[in-house]
Amino acid sequence: MLLTLPSPRALRTGVTLILSLLVAGLSLRPLEAPAWEQVRAKQPALRLESIKDALGQGVTVGLIGGFRAIVADFFWIRTNFVWEQNDLPATQTSIKLVTAIDPRPTYFWLNGSRMIAYDMPNWRIDKAGGYDRVPESVKRRFDLEQSKVAMNYLNEAFGFHPADPLIRLEIANIYLNRLKDTESAAQNYKIAAQHPDAPYYAARIYAELLRKMNRNTEAYAYLKTLYPTLPKDNLQAMSQVVLGRISELEDELAIPVEQRFRPE
Amino acid sequence: MTADSVPFSFSRLSLIASNTFLEAVRQKLFNFLLLLAIGLVASAQFFREFNFGSSELKFIADFGFGALVFFGSALTITTTAQLFFSEIENRTALTLLAKPIWRSEFVFGKFLGVFAVIGVFCALTIGLMMALLWHREGQLMQINPESFEAGRILQYGDLFMVGVLQWLKFGVLSAIVLLIASFSNTNLYTVVTGFFALVICHLQYLARDSWGNVDSIILRTLVRGLGYIFPNFQLFNLGDEIGVGAGIDPAVFGRITLYAVIYIFVFGGLAVYSFRKREI
Repeated sequence: MLLTLPSPRALRTGVTLILSLLVAGLSLRPLEAPAWEQVRAKQPALRLESIKDALGQGVTVGLIGGFRAIVADFFWIRTNFVWEQNDLPATQTSIKLVTAIDPRPTYFWLNGSRMIAYDMPNWRIDKAGGYDRVPESVKRRFDLEQSKVAMNYLNEAFGFHPADPLIRLEIANIYLNRLKDTESAAQNYKIAAQHPDAPYYAARIYAELLRKMNRNTEAYAYLKTLYPTLPKDNLQAMSQVVLGRISELEDELAIPVEQRFRPE
Repeated sequence: MTADSVPFSFSRLSLIASNTFLEAVRQKLFNFLLLLAIGLVASAQFFREFNFGSSELKFIADFGFGALVFFGSALTITTTAQLFFSEIENRTALTLLAKPIWRSEFVFGKFLGVFAVIGVFCALTIGLMMALLWHREGQLMQINPESFEAGRILQYGDLFMVGVLQWLKFGVLSAIVLLIASFSNTNLYTVVTGFFALVICHLQYLARDSWGNVDSIILRTLVRGLGYIFPNFQLFNLGDEIGVGAGIDPAVFGRITLYAVIYIFVFGGLAVYSFRKREI
């Protein structure tokens, strides 16, 4: 087959077009850059890995086309399908693919991390021979490994949801429920509770963990500062429960009656 | 009498544009894609069960914009290429350009005709989506009034602005396709290259991010150059900001609008330049 070279005229036209576009692009950059910076700061753009991973699934056109939310939703259904089959590698990959496609909903991050931290250690124990046969040290190792994966995953979520109290709470829950690390759990509950949108229970759990660690004085001081901030008409704030715990701590710490907490 | 002997005329340009518009709306493809997009937007509420991540209203908005972007891109590329090449294949371009008509009038007339068609498509799709969201939000306000204590959550002005930006993006895309068509020999080549250009424009920021800082100077220059040659279409995706935080910043909207308008003139001008060199 003969390869025909473009005529000098066509070549000249081509070069002129490219150079003109280059000049236009360079001239428009000062207009584009500030807008792009603002657009990017407010929304997570599609990432290379999501495109790369999704290429094999044939959904790139959908992603570029704008069907990001629905593509992520369909992948979430697939995640649940492989999760039901206790397929660890497929579930882990699928969880990460969902948040790579659409990192905006915290729902995916929270539920994905729960699958990794709570379900996957059990699958590994089952595969290794079951609860009766697997030694405690191995079970503990599985817990540690999966919790580490889940926490790395949740830390990645902070890139898209900086300081989201629910993500911080999820980390705290893993420390408390899976790793039985009360100290680290308490630290994370405390950080979560400091956020203005944090659920009220975060502060209550922090105080209870302080009590569990025999740091009653600290818990008492914390609850005394917490109580005035709680809305009295909000059921979830449970101000009466907090007041009850203050009273319990006063008994335990033997606080003299005249020094006891009196809410205004 | 040649084109050079008469001044540039906006009335001739608008005649070509209105003719292009009429030709486009008579096409089955336009009606088919319009119906498909409208059907998809209207059916968004039936897909609510698939919604796991975001709120219901956000999901409907995302779904609607998905339909707008997907079918709008397909419509822009195919209609622009088809209307341009129908003139050449039917030899009507020969008759038309034999008269004292500027090639810029022809190219920009074609562009304006297609731009108007896409405008109708965007207006119908966005209008339907806004009506659907308004209706559903009203229902949710009755079911769950405590979540709407401060009134409606969605800012419908933002939805409108995103629709306008998508329309402008399709305008830039149409101008790119016209540029390709100005030197291409076939409709198919133009359509395929148009789709490639769409993908490149959407993903060029990834290339800039990933390859812009590599050690090889040649590769780095090449990638940065490509980043300058193709416009950044990801800039127009402000749909994510609907119902989130303070909404769309009017200054950003203004900048992106200006960016799109300038690019339309740049690509349109280059299409004219290339088309002038073409022998029909």
